[in-house]
Amino acid sequence: MNDFPLPVRAERSNPLARVFDELIDFCRARSMFMLHYCTGCGAIELPPAMTSRFDMERLGIQPMVTPRQADILLITGYVSIKTLKRVILTYEQMGSPKYVIGICSCTVNGGMYWQSYATAKKLNEYLPVDVYIAGCMPRPEAVIEGLRKLMGEIKAGRANSWERYFREYDRYLAAQQNLFGPNWQTPTDIIGEARDYQLYGPGTEGRHTELLQQHQVPLQPLRMTLHSDVEKSS
Amino acid sequence: MRPENYQAQSHPPSHEYELNFGPNHPGIEGNYALQVRLHGDTVVSAHADGGYLHRGFEKLMEGRLWIQNIALVPRICVPDPVPMEVCYSLAIEDISGLQVPERAKWLRVLQLELSRIAAHLFYFGGHAATTGMYSPSFWGVADRDLILDRFEELSGGRVYHIFNIPGGVRRDIPEGFLGRVSALLDYLEARLPEYDDLLFRNQVFVRRSKGVGVIDQQQALAWGVTGPNLRATGLGFDVRRDDPYLIYNQLDFEIPTEDSGCCWARTLVRRSELQQSIRICRQVIAALPDIGGPVRAPIPNPLAWNVPVGESYTRVESSKGELAYYVLSTGGEKPYRVHVRGPSAMHAVQVLEKMVTGGRLEDVAQIMFSLDACPPEVDR
Ligand code: SF4
Repeated sequence: MNDFPLPVRAERSNPLARVFDELIDFCRARSMFMLHYCTGCGAIELPPAMTSRFDMERLGIQPMVTPRQADILLITGYVSIKTLKRVILTYEQMGSPKYVIGICSCTVNGGMYWQSYATAKKLNEYLPVDVYIAGCMPRPEAVIEGLRKLMGEIKAGRANSWERYFREYDRYLAAQQNLFGPNWQTPTDIIGEARDYQLYGPGTEGRHTELLQQHQVPLQPLRMTLHSDVEKSS
Repeated sequence: MRPENYQAQSHPPSHEYELNFGPNHPGIEGNYALQVRLHGDTVVSAHADGGYLHRGFEKLMEGRLWIQNIALVPRICVPDPVPMEVCYSLAIEDISGLQVPERAKWLRVLQLELSRIAAHLFYFGGHAATTGMYSPSFWGVADRDLILDRFEELSGGRVYHIFNIPGGVRRDIPEGFLGRVSALLDYLEARLPEYDDLLFRNQVFVRRSKGVGVIDQQQALAWGVTGPNLRATGLGFDVRRDDPYLIYNQLDFEIPTEDSGCCWARTLVRRSELQQSIRICRQVIAALPDIGGPVRAPIPNPLAWNVPVGESYTRVESSKGELAYYVLSTGGEKPYRVHVRGPSAMHAVQVLEKMVTGGRLEDVAQIMFSLDACPPEVDR
């Protein structure tokens, strides 16, 4: 996971800004909305973790239904190739800062499906993962422990592996193209976003993004039809 | 949305539109999608889109030892894993002619019924949540956890027990286990009236679910519906009684049925089954102390075990319906072919597609959940 360690965010010189940054990190760590994509069997331990017995809500962790408002993407178990496409799509839609937690051994190294033809083995080849919770399946306590670890990292300003997706987009895209074929594309313009967030790094563009740009069709705006038009034409 | 073809497409103007349920959070527990075409609030057509959980189980099992597969099978149906282990073990015992000790049979039935109770409790909560009631899901999950604690005590695993192996069960029950299970059953039984007030007699739930997602008996038989969903149409077919395995023919229990075949009936059938399962567990607890003997028949070295040539089709009643394994052995140390006949594959694909058609948008999630399908088992 730490093959490309990121520096701790640079401290700003203005003391007021530093206090502000710390405050923001504290608040972020204390109100995490998680989008759990029930990709595999590990999802069955989340209802106990979320409801009255283990009660994640006391830590400020709540389920969220849409990717746009979520902070954490919880990958609960093995990801089949069909699911992985949706996972990547969901991840790219989430607003930064965003964190990925891989629950279950299957997300670490394929787990007991290591020889399956239908699953993606290592999640962090396709997405930057912040915390892994190993186990088959991890108990609710372990899930909460993992989330607490992430909270600690956020508070310390160390959980910025989402930046890696922008800085090294080419590497992630390479793995994705490897798996899904050269025509793989998503509606999100990661390179543009990287420039916008000032996270453009030497690894953002490369051989694989070139391939992407060659065949990428620009998005067409959807034509919306008003009710009265339907009446007229039908 | 499919990432492969997310491009905007123009269609001729129409009043119909498409809506995706899932895969991120559909009504059923897990990763499964349903695409519905709607006209206003009415579903015109539906298309089930599975395969998100496909792991190629049947292929994986051909590449592993007979005994290794025991760890793999419970993953096929996550909320109700015990019938998977038992059914697979039964099939191997059938092929190899292993005699299971009497005590092991009773222990298996105890696990099967506890697992059924756990799965049904989970189901009630989920079904209520699709109608906008969230308290029952908190109750159901909390009470299910008490059963998981007993499983943990028995086998060391909360969700996956891997406790049944060909020839019996792995070890005997711990000291005082039966007493604790019996206390748990008393508690669950005492909770049932509260569940009635909260859910089964709650007018919000009754009015939302009565008469929704109806299927009649003829159709149900034609589409391969089994288990509680079939019993909700008035046909009292249950593998436990009609094709008894283990020691079910020595037990005294009823097969609850309902006639209307709607979502409400399906819930009621499961609620009555909960009582019957408690009853079965009580009988097992009463009988177990008098049944001595080993809990496991000796099997050959499991790492070099060549199950004799043969084939077997074994079925059991899981909480979702009729579950069967077809196992074919050519005398090797690995199975030649294992096929899983799961109940959910029928329920969640063909039955669901037809059932939601003509229904209303707000009932789609409810109908999906009321069938109690298990997506990992649909995709396998
Ligand atoms: S690690 Fe185990 S419990 Fe988790 S997804 Fe894999 S098989 Fe399922």
